[in-house]
Amino acid sequence: MKDLIAKITNTATQKFGAKYAEARAQKLYKTSLTLKEERVEAAKQGIENGVAIRVLVNGAWGFASVGSFDDAILESAVSDACRMAKLASARLKTPIKLANTKVVNDRVISKPKKNPADIQMEEKIKTALSINKASLGFDKRIKSCSVDYFDLTGTSTFANSEGTFIEQDKLYVWSRITASAASEGVFTFSREEIGSTAGYELFDTQVPEVLGVKVAKLAIEQLNAKSPKGGKFPVVLGPNVVGVFVHEAFGHLAEADLALSGGVLDSNLGKKIGSDLVTFYDDGTIEGAFGAFKYDDEGVPSHKTLLIKDGVVTGLMHNRETAQKFNAQPTGNARAEDFRVEPIIRMRCTYMAPKDQSFEELVKGVKAGYYFKSFRGGQANLDGTFQVGIQEGYEIVNGELGSAVRNASISGSTLETLHKVDGVGKDFMLDPGRCGKGQTAFISDGGPHIRISEVVVGGSA
Amino acid sequence: MAVLEKNTMISLAEDAVKAALKQGAQDAEAYVYEGQASNIGIELGQISKTNRIIDRGIGIRVAANKAIGFAYTNIVEDQKAIEKAVSGALSAARASKPDPDWNGLPQKKNYSETHKTYDKKILALTSEELVNIAATMLDAAGQVDKRVFPIEGGIGSAYIANAIANSNGVTGFDRGTVIECSVATLAKEGNSVTPVCFEFNAGRTYNLDPAWIGREAAKLAVSALKTKPVETKSGKVILTQFALQDLLSYTLINAIRADSVQRDQSPFKGKLGEKVASENLTIYDDGLFAGGLHTWAFDGEGAPHQKTPVIEKGILKNFLYDNYSARKDGKESTGNASRAGYLSTPGIDTTNFHIMPGTKTAQEMLSEVDDGLIIYYLQGAHSSNPVSGEFSVVATPAWKIKNGEITHCSRGVMLAGNIFELLKNISVVGGNERQMGQLIAPWIQVENVRVIGQ
Repeated sequence: MKDLIAKITNTATQKFGAKYAEARAQKLYKTSLTLKEERVEAAKQGIENGVAIRVLVNGAWGFASVGSFDDAILESAVSDACRMAKLASARLKTPIKLANTKVVNDRVISKPKKNPADIQMEEKIKTALSINKASLGFDKRIKSCSVDYFDLTGTSTFANSEGTFIEQDKLYVWSRITASAASEGVFTFSREEIGSTAGYELFDTQVPEVLGVKVAKLAIEQLNAKSPKGGKFPVVLGPNVVGVFVHEAFGHLAEADLALSGGVLDSNLGKKIGSDLVTFYDDGTIEGAFGAFKYDDEGVPSHKTLLIKDGVVTGLMHNRETAQKFNAQPTGNARAEDFRVEPIIRMRCTYMAPKDQSFEELVKGVKAGYYFKSFRGGQANLDGTFQVGIQEGYEIVNGELGSAVRNASISGSTLETLHKVDGVGKDFMLDPGRCGKGQTAFISDGGPHIRISEVVVGGSA
Repeated sequence: MAVLEKNTMISLAEDAVKAALKQGAQDAEAYVYEGQASNIGIELGQISKTNRIIDRGIGIRVAANKAIGFAYTNIVEDQKAIEKAVSGALSAARASKPDPDWNGLPQKKNYSETHKTYDKKILALTSEELVNIAATMLDAAGQVDKRVFPIEGGIGSAYIANAIANSNGVTGFDRGTVIECSVATLAKEGNSVTPVCFEFNAGRTYNLDPAWIGREAAKLAVSALKTKPVETKSGKVILTQFALQDLLSYTLINAIRADSVQRDQSPFKGKLGEKVASENLTIYDDGLFAGGLHTWAFDGEGAPHQKTPVIEKGILKNFLYDNYSARKDGKESTGNASRAGYLSTPGIDTTNFHIMPGTKTAQEMLSEVDDGLIIYYLQGAHSSNPVSGEFSVVATPAWKIKNGEITHCSRGVMLAGNIFELLKNISVVGGNERQMGQLIAPWIQVENVRVIGQ
């Protein structure tokens, strides 16, 4: 494999005039399952081989992907990439340059306690089935339950024309459980995701039966919940909602490509955009966390990146191209879903740092508002408008938790909202998730419980 | 790299089916996919990247004792890799549990001819021509206003081919082309940044107006610069295709899928023949729509595509079926087994979801609104409750309509409600139909939508 990809980068630089070239050859093995109401929809497995080639010619990027390790096919792909990049470069105003990064030679071996590749399909089905059964058996108002299971193992071999060569194992184990409940014309829906880069031992801590019940309970509780009132309210957010808030409302704006695209953070570097209680990280070094890895897909070591410290924007997430533009260090955030796509700036494990308050103290400070414990989807726009849908929520009345509410959402402007964080808890939790930005990336996000003095709550009542 | 010939693709599929039967499968199906795409990309205001992607592979689905297994590989040149995938599918099935509802694969049926789905002109486009088209779009956006910044976009052309074979004698091959050209812009003035405004052309045949795309995206962004709040109240809202696509794909589409209905996940269960929407609303799922982005001769398991009435004048007519859910209800598949290439088994989805247009032009619709909003883009539709249809989303942004004129933009406006109530409150269906992904629809005006202002 080393010779194969060395040949690609040599051909690009020596024969086709590329100033920089990289190749990423991957062998990926995937298993997936979907169970619905104890029925196995299909047990699936797949093998994918392919090479991604990226070249810089006259300051423009050329990218080619082929599902083959064949010499002649790869040569024609390199030639395509270089030719197209050269054509595109004719209109460039600002040629692309890359920040320097050290040359790396490394072999990264994953060391799972239980390698998903060694676990029999029967065993995986059994695990998914226990989740499914526990959920469906919890209450007769549970009408349906789906369990998706996915694992990926394999190796990604990266080399570039600067001499970096990295052979890195890939390992992901992931599951999503959704349940629906119905009673007296009310339909509710709940979901939960788990994931790890450690191994199949994930199910030793995420006990299938407990997981199934947890999802079922969420759907049942919403049956008697009421619609929240729309308007501005103080809210306490659980770690699960804080995570998606940090990811969506702030994280995307701190991706340097989006900041350069005119996102609101470009003009706020070094400025105070939040209360003193606000400190955010994007950390690719948490062992076993969904979204953690040693090297990104440009061969840059993954960092723990400080994004906001005490309310002040201190850094952005970079690839080599944006790091050069900002005169910063690449942070190891360039990730590609697989060999079919080019690396782009993605988050890893994005979270808010905990402080010192208890959950009770946070809730006590709210006269009339809401506690939003877990989310269902979230999204943000470059202008700093965010929206997070709420799965599990409660009223807070005079400092105490009240009735459950369903189908709430919060929204607002990130920059205004971060100033309104007036309480941060001492607890901490990370949740795995998937993020879409044209490609899917496995990520984690989280934080402690926090209180926001005012946010727009979307409700239909 | 030359594309795989029709005969090569069909024999790859047929050979895999034969091999699976030989290894003991009761039912076997093989699906072969090939996609070749070229893209010229815009990033940060300039044309600075290109890509060329070739992806092909085979997915094999088998049933052994009513248990289903599936395996795929993207190594199609190697007979051994395909044989390994076949035995992988069988071993997966043998590890799995029997499904008592499994009732076989689709039977052989005739396919209708598709129209305007393949255009040699798209395949003949050179990289130089693609660069020029992207440049035309970019220049047009820049000329509208200095405050406009085109952040991303580009042009892509693709060739896609599918072949299928199953153990009931089904064999099919279809191929087509797609071209897509788009730009996302925002406008900046001082510290004010607008939301991202997006415009595009997409089709199966070559029919592009790159200058129009650039101009429209830029004009929208400029009009979003100056904003004023709107009040919290219930009122008239015009939803453009962008907003409709977002809202419907997470709610209504779920409700009309036969599997959702069978699993008690649809409020439409038991409501066939009943009025579920305003009489203004007629929707067909039309897998044969001429030039449709999702028009193919057959679906992901080889059942013929067709035109299925979903809602006619407000009356719920049909649910969308794949072969499995159809057999369960004693019905025929409606050709709605959708497939993400060779990587997965089919699942139910719409083909071209066609909301039939009315007669009013966009201008007429606007001029008849004395007080309301027009919504281009939405944020957060994917957090809707897919079962109940309840949604709570942000317009990014909304424009206020006063006395028949668009007066100003407003940010952070939330819309909340229930899609099934919304369908009943449709008062006007426009005549300005356009295609967007799976949706073919005009603007739609809805009454009494809950708007939460700032």
